[in-house]
Amino acid sequence: MRSGAKIVMEALVREGIDTIFGYPGGVVLPLYDEMLNWPQVKHVLVRHEQCAAHMADGYARATNNVGVCLATSGPGATNLVTGIANAMMDSIPMVAITGNVNTWAIGKDAFQETDIQGITIPITKHNYLVTNVDDLPGVLAEAFYLANTGRKGPVLVDIPKDVFTAMTDKPFPETVTRRGYEIPGAPAQEQVDEVARLIAEANKPVIIAGQGVLASGSMDLLRELAEKAHIPVINSLLGLGSFPRNHELSLGMMGMHGEATGTLAVQDADLVMGVGIRFDDRLTGDTNTFAKNAKIVHFDLDPSEVGKTVTPVAWVIGDLKLGLEMLVPMVEPKRHDEWVAQVKGWQEAYPLVVPEGKFLSRTVLRALNEHTKGQAIVSTDVGQHQMWTAQFYKVMKPYHFISSGGLGTMGFGFPSAMGAKFAKPDSEVWCVVGDGGFQMTLQELQTAVEYGVKVNICLLNNGYLGMVRQWQELFFDNRYSSVQMGSPDYGKLADAYGVKFFRCTRVEDLDETLRQAREFDGPTLCEFVVEMEENVYPMVPAGKDNSTVIMDPDLPKQPAGATK
Amino acid sequence: MSQQHTITALVQNEAGTINRLVSMFRRRGVSLASFNAGDCEQEGYSRLTLLVDGDESMLHQTLKQLVKLIDVVEVEDLAADHGIQRELALIRVDPNSSEVEHVKNLASEFEAKIPKETATSVFVEFTGNPKDIEKLIGALKPYNVAEVVRTGLVAMRTDSV
Repeated sequence: MRSGAKIVMEALVREGIDTIFGYPGGVVLPLYDEMLNWPQVKHVLVRHEQCAAHMADGYARATNNVGVCLATSGPGATNLVTGIANAMMDSIPMVAITGNVNTWAIGKDAFQETDIQGITIPITKHNYLVTNVDDLPGVLAEAFYLANTGRKGPVLVDIPKDVFTAMTDKPFPETVTRRGYEIPGAPAQEQVDEVARLIAEANKPVIIAGQGVLASGSMDLLRELAEKAHIPVINSLLGLGSFPRNHELSLGMMGMHGEATGTLAVQDADLVMGVGIRFDDRLTGDTNTFAKNAKIVHFDLDPSEVGKTVTPVAWVIGDLKLGLEMLVPMVEPKRHDEWVAQVKGWQEAYPLVVPEGKFLSRTVLRALNEHTKGQAIVSTDVGQHQMWTAQFYKVMKPYHFISSGGLGTMGFGFPSAMGAKFAKPDSEVWCVVGDGGFQMTLQELQTAVEYGVKVNICLLNNGYLGMVRQWQELFFDNRYSSVQMGSPDYGKLADAYGVKFFRCTRVEDLDETLRQAREFDGPTLCEFVVEMEENVYPMVPAGKDNSTVIMDPDLPKQPAGATK
Repeated sequence: MSQQHTITALVQNEAGTINRLVSMFRRRGVSLASFNAGDCEQEGYSRLTLLVDGDESMLHQTLKQLVKLIDVVEVEDLAADHGIQRELALIRVDPNSSEVEHVKNLASEFEAKIPKETATSVFVEFTGNPKDIEKLIGALKPYNVAEVVRTGLVAMRTDSV
C-alpha cells in the first residue's frame, strides 16, 4: 500500500521526468511532503504558476519530451491556464498536475476550490479529475501516454487532497491502451504513391516544413527528400530548426513576417507540400489566393487538419516519419535548377536588411546570430523581436528555436528559456524578449538566481509595445493608443535580484556586451536600448493575399506587384 | 448547402465526458439542434445521437474533431433518412370540454397514446420521426397545446450490421 502522493512521484520516475516546475499550496501539501523523499526528481520553485507551465513547455520543446508542471487548487490551478492553452495551440507534450479540495468538499465552493477540469476542457488534449486513489496509477500512466503520442498536447490531472493521502496497492498498468485512441501509424500506400507522382510532375515545388517534422523527429528524412528531389524548404515559425538555415535549399520562414522569398515562392510554385504544418492564418494570408498556382499536398497525422483551412489535392495522413520513410525511396532524383535559380534570385533581390548607422533590434539580433553561430537554444517572447529573431537567428539545430506560435503568449520567452536550460544544462540558452513581455514574467529572475540558471536575456528595449505600435502606425493612421511603455531601471532591478547586468546603447559596444554576457558564469540581463520606431518587414497585412507582401522600404528594389 | 445531419457516437463514460463533447461544439461554432445520450449495451459506455446543422465541410470537420476527443470511441454520420430515427414527445393539451373527443381522435389517428387524462388536460405520448411529431403538434394546436417535452432524436443504423 502507498499513498496517492507517492504514486505521483512513482509516475514521474517511471516516465523519466527529472525536473518539474511548480508552486505549493494547501491541498498539495501531502505531495510536497512526499517529494522530500525523492531527490531524483528536482522541483523548481517558480514565482508564479504561469511560469511553471511555460518552463515545462520550454523543457518539452528543448527535449521533444513531456514537461511537467504542478500547482495547488484554485488560483494556483487557474494561473496555469495561459501556459496550458499555449501548449495546446502548439501541440506541446505537457502533464499539468493540480491539487483540488477534498472529494467531500468538491462542489461546495470550498476555500480555493475551482473547477479546473471544466476550465481546461477546451485547452487540453484530455483531462481528469481523480476521485478514487485506485484510479490514480492508471490515470497518470495514461496522461503521459496521451500527452506524448499522436498529436501531442497538454493533459491535466486534477487530484483532490484526500486522494493524495488515500492508500492503495493498485499497480501501474504494464502498457497503456485506450479504446478509441489510436496512435496514427503508417499512411496508406496509395496516398504516398500519389504524392510521389505529383513530385515527379512538378517543375516548381516547395516544401513548407513545420513543427510536425520536429515532433516526429523526421529532420533527416526531410533533408533527404529536399536534396534528392531538389526542393527548396520553407519553414513555418515553429518549424524553424527542422532544416538547417545555412542549407542552400533553406528559404527561412514564410508568412506574415516571413522572408519575401518563401512567401513569393509559394505563390509562384506549382507544388506546395505542407509537411507537419497546419496552414494557419499567419502563414497562408488569404486562403483563397494562397499558393494559387500550386497543387497543395498536406502531410499531417491529425486528419482534422487536412482541409481545415486550405484544400489540398492530395494528403498523407499518418505518422510523418513513417510517411517520409515510404516516400523518399520512391522519389526519383531530380534537379530543378531553373526554379531554384529563380528562388535564389528573389533571395538576392529581396534580402533582409539592417540599415547601418542606427542601433536597431535587427542590429542586435544579427550580432547575436554571428556570436552564437545559430548553435544556441533561443527562446523568444511574442512581438516584433520574435519575428526578427525568426528572420535573423539562423537556427542550425532541431529543438533550438522555441517560440509561442499559436497562442502568441507575451511573457512566455523568459520562463520557457529557463525550462530549456533546465532540460539542456550544457547548451547555451538565450531569451530574446521585448520590454513589454519581459515585464510580464520578470519575477522569475529570482528563480534563475536561486537555481543558478545560466540564461542570457537579450532584452530589446524600444519603449513601445512594438508590434501593436506598428499596426497602429500602418493601419490606424499613426494614432498611438496605450503602446508607449515605461520600464523600471533594469540595472537596479538586476542588482536587486543579483543578476549580472549589461546595458548597451550603441553599435560600438554590441560585440563586447555579447561576448561578456556569454562568458559570465550565471544568468545575465542584457538591455539593448534600441531605436524606438522600427518596423518588421516584409509584412503581409492580416488576411491579405500573400502576393501583396509589403517590402522593407529600405530595400532598394521592390518586386513587381508588391505594395510599398 | 446547409442541412441537418444525424451523428451517432459511442463514448466512454468519465467525469466530464458530456461537458467535453458539448464544449467542442460550442468552441467550433457548430450548432447542435438535438443532443441525446444514454446507457447502451456496453457497460461504462454511452451512445449519443446528435443532430447538427451545417454544410458538408462543417460536417466533415465536426466528425474529425469528435473522433479526436479521447472519450469518443466511434462516430458515424447517418444521412437524415437513414436507419431508424425516432423521438418521443409528451404533449399536454388543454382543450375545451367539447373538444376532448377531437383530441383523442387525433391521437389515435397518429397512433399516439394517452397515458393520462385530467379534468383540464389530455396528455399525449407520441413516438415517431421529428417530422411526424411536428405534424401532430400542428394538428393539436387548435385545441390549446399547453406544454411540449421532447427527448431529442435517437438513431440506429439498420444496414451493414
